Order: sequence, then C-alpha cells, then structure tokens
Amino acid sequence: MASEATRADEAARAGEATRAGEATRAAVTAAWRRESAALVAALTRMTRDVAVAEDLAQDALVAALEQWPRRGIPSSPAAWLMTTAKRRAVDYFRRTETLRRRTAELGRGLVEMEVPDLDAQVDHIEDDLLRLMFLCCHPALTPDTRAALTLRLVGGLTTAEVARGFLTTETSMGQRLSRAKRTLSESSAGFDMPSGAERLQRLDDVMAVIYLVFTEGYSATAAAEWTRPDLCHEGVRLARILARLVPGEPEVHSLQALLELQASRLHARSDAQGQPLLLESQDRRRWDLLLIRRGQAALTRAEQLAASGRPIGRYYLQAAIAERHASAARAADTDWTTIAHLYDVLAEVAPGPVIEVNRAVAHGRAHGPEAGLAVLEAIPTDALAGSPMPSAVRGDLLSRLHRSDEAADAFRAAAAATRNVAERRLLSRRAEEVASGA
Amino acid sequence: MHYMVFVKMSEADLEPPAALVEAMGAEMEAGFANGTLVQVGGLYATSCRTEFRVRAGEVTSTDGPFTEAKEEVGGFAIIDVRDHAEAVENARRMAELHAKHWPEWVGAVEARRISGPGDNPSPGA
Repeated sequence: MASEATRADEAARAGEATRAGEATRAAVTAAWRRESAALVAALTRMTRDVAVAEDLAQDALVAALEQWPRRGIPSSPAAWLMTTAKRRAVDYFRRTETLRRRTAELGRGLVEMEVPDLDAQVDHIEDDLLRLMFLCCHPALTPDTRAALTLRLVGGLTTAEVARGFLTTETSMGQRLSRAKRTLSESSAGFDMPSGAERLQRLDDVMAVIYLVFTEGYSATAAAEWTRPDLCHEGVRLARILARLVPGEPEVHSLQALLELQASRLHARSDAQGQPLLLESQDRRRWDLLLIRRGQAALTRAEQLAASGRPIGRYYLQAAIAERHASAARAADTDWTTIAHLYDVLAEVAPGPVIEVNRAVAHGRAHGPEAGLAVLEAIPTDALAGSPMPSAVRGDLLSRLHRSDEAADAFRAAAAATRNVAERRLLSRRAEEVASGA
Repeated sequence: MHYMVFVKMSEADLEPPAALVEAMGAEMEAGFANGTLVQVGGLYATSCRTEFRVRAGEVTSTDGPFTEAKEEVGGFAIIDVRDHAEAVENARRMAELHAKHWPEWVGAVEARRISGPGDNPSPGA
C-alpha cells in the first residue's frame, strides 16, 4: 500500500514537474518569439545570410532554454539573446575565416577576411526588420513560399506551426523553407534595401504576401481546424508591423485598416451550426468593436496621407468599403450609394470579374435590381465559369424584380456550381422559395 | 485573443519616477511596433471616482477618495496576443520594468483574458 502511494506521489510529482517544465518552456519561447524578428533581422545584416542568421537566432533560443529555466528570464531578453547570438556569430566568422585561410593556402595567395566588430555596430532595428520583410518577400520566391518564410522569420512561428498553417507536413515545410533560404543566399543581390520605383514595387509584393497570409486564414473554417495557427491574426499583426515601419504610405495603412475590419467580423461569419452567414445576415453584436475602431483609425491615417498627395489604390478602396459596412449598425442602414461608387473606382484600379460581381450587388442595392443586372450582364460569361457567385447574385436581383422563373433557374444553376454542401442547400432552398412564390 | 493587463498599486504611489516613465514609453512603443498593443491608459486617483454599490436591491453611491483600499488599479493595457504565454510575457516585462526602475514600489501586474465572441472553450490553454 505504502509503496503504491509513494509511486502515485512520485508520478504526481513527475507530472507536476513536466507541467512546470512545459510552462517554463512556453514562457521562454514566448520571450524569445517576441524578440526573434529583430534578432534574425540584425543578424541578417551582420552576416548577410538569412540562413546563417536564423541558425544563430536558433542557437540563442537553445541557450535560453538551457539557462533561463534555472536562472529566470533575464530582465532584458532582447539584450541577452543578442549578446549570445553575437558571440556565436563571432565563432561562425572565425570558423569561416579559418576555412578560407586553409583554402587560400592551398591555392592562390592569402585573402584577409576580418572578423567584423559586431559590438561596434549600431542598431537599426527598424531598417533591419523592413529589410528582412523585403527579403522574405523576394521576387525570386513563389508567393506561397514568401508567405511561409515571412511567418517563420518575421512572425517567429516554428516550422511546425507554419506547416500547420499551410496544411502540410513539418518535413516538407522545412524543406521548402531551406530551399527558400538557399535561393536567397545565392541571389544575394536582393539583400540591399530597395529604393525608388523598385521600393514601391517590392512594398506591393510585401503587402500582397500579408494579404495572402490573411486570406489563407480566412478561407479556413475555424471550427474544424482550431489547432491551425490563426493566420488571420498573423496577417493583421504583420500589417500593423509594416504600418509602423513604413508610416508614410497610405496603402500600407489601408492594408492594415482592411485586415482589422475584416478580422472584426471573423466570429460573426457563421451561425451556431457552423453555416456560413452573409454580411447582411450576421449578428452585428458579434463584430469586434476594438478591431473596427483600429481599422477606422488606420483608414483615417491613410486618408490624411492621401490628402498630402501620396497615391492610394485597391487596399484603400477595399478598406473604405469594409468601413462603410462596419459603421452600419443594421444591415438596412448600409450606405450602398457610397459603396457602389467605391466599387466603380475599384473596378478601374483593379479590374476583374469578382469585383464586377460585388459591384453588381452594390449597384443592385443602391440603384435598384435593374442597375445591378446591367453590371452583371456586362461580365463575360466565361470569366467566372464554375463559380456559383454570378448566378446567385443574378437570382437575388431577378427575385427582387419578381421574375420568379428566371430567378429560380439562376439559383438552381448556382446550386449546381457550388462544391460547398451548406451553400448548395441554401441556394436550392432559395430556388424553391422563389419558384413557389414565397 | 485580447487580454487586459492591470497595474495595481497603493494610492500613495501615483507619481512614478522619470526612469520608469521613460522605460514604459519605450516598452509601449515596442508593443505598438510589433502589433500587440491595442490601447493603454492610466487612471486618475480615486478622488475622481464614483462607485455605485448594489445590495439587496438597493443602489447607493459613494464618491472617492477611498482611503481604506490597499491596492487600486492605476493603469491598464489591452493587448492582442496569440496565446496565454504571450500575454504572460507582456505582463512579466511590465512587472520587471517596475522592479528595475522603481525598486521601492509595491504593487501587482495582472493579465486577464477578455472574453469575446470567438473564444475557444478552454481559455488560457
């Protein structure tokens, strides 16, 4: 009995120790992750190699996991990690230097390579971080890889977390990230801070990657994949970081505004049964007011900058549309006239069939179903082949004109086109409703 | 997920030393820069406070100052974090700054999760 009790006690103690160990590990990792982007960014500047920089930052994490649980998290984790990583960087330079020396002795004359005085280097955290973002979103990489690398190096996510975010295995994500870093090391031209027209182009690329991260999260159904890192949250966060790094560009603030506003509605997008809800049917009390206000503040900053002559574009227009929706207390209060006008401008700035369909919806609300149909009819029929969207919108507009038979046909066509079961049920029901004159 | 971080202290300690103000300023700047900090605020002394107490269906009001209270909320921050560990790290850093720049200060920093429509069933997990 006694020995059983002792064993149980020991097991309980071991369990507690493991839990305590996990809690400490989580605390150390949280402290490291907060500093990791600045750390990797500074080390990239020093070593001019993002793969080496990441290894050094990882070494610092390993050292922290060894030492912090015993000595406590230092009062300034950033300084501690940087000192540790710099020490490892010096070792790295010495090793490289020794290797170069030996190679040189075998071949031609000796080429001197100085170990740089890392402590004498001034910190340029903001420049470093922006340069790291440009590097992660380098044109030599595919958009998906840019997003993964940005999450890894700027967001500080683990490879396993990035893999879960993109619904792939840790091994294949690890390989993809390694290949990406190799590509960047080989095309070292991309390391310098771009300037002039190239800077604007590269900034566009960075914004597109942040938008991609967000939409990747947006398209996931929250309920089924709650272990998936919240890519929407990561996207918003990256947009906030970029807005602080590039405070003078209205489009950057617009992107932040757009993502804050879209994120404010994340939890209202489906009903209790998990069925998707359109904007008009959402319970607006479930919108996150804090995020809406942040979005509005970012949009105001964009407008102030635009007033001083900086160009705006599609992110501003999309954010302005999202803001008009967000500031309507009830669906019926929506300022469709302004939204229709914003869609007109957006269709010129970023033409495409999806925007045309949304423009048709807005015109249908603002100026009547016929106006909406006119926009819809102008879309080339094959532009959105396979998408239920144009037919669903047509059905809605026709039903408001009491052209019931045509509306039912449109809803049936939409139901046949969708691959989503819940959506098909919804569209079929609408087809029956209009056919029966409900 | 959103957390509210409270700084609680004795009313006698409402004037922090300049070094702490500066360090907190830098910490806030970093918080805004990395996208975690949503809002911060300091609260005025309880002399500017009115409290309504409800008991047995009766409402009574009292104006500050409340001298009997040992610790009052003196400031707050709303942060937007990935997980509980990240919220704890934010609060820890704030506590460390107080310990370093105001060694004679006695108080508490507390991180509490704000409930919201998107909560998963196990807060803090």
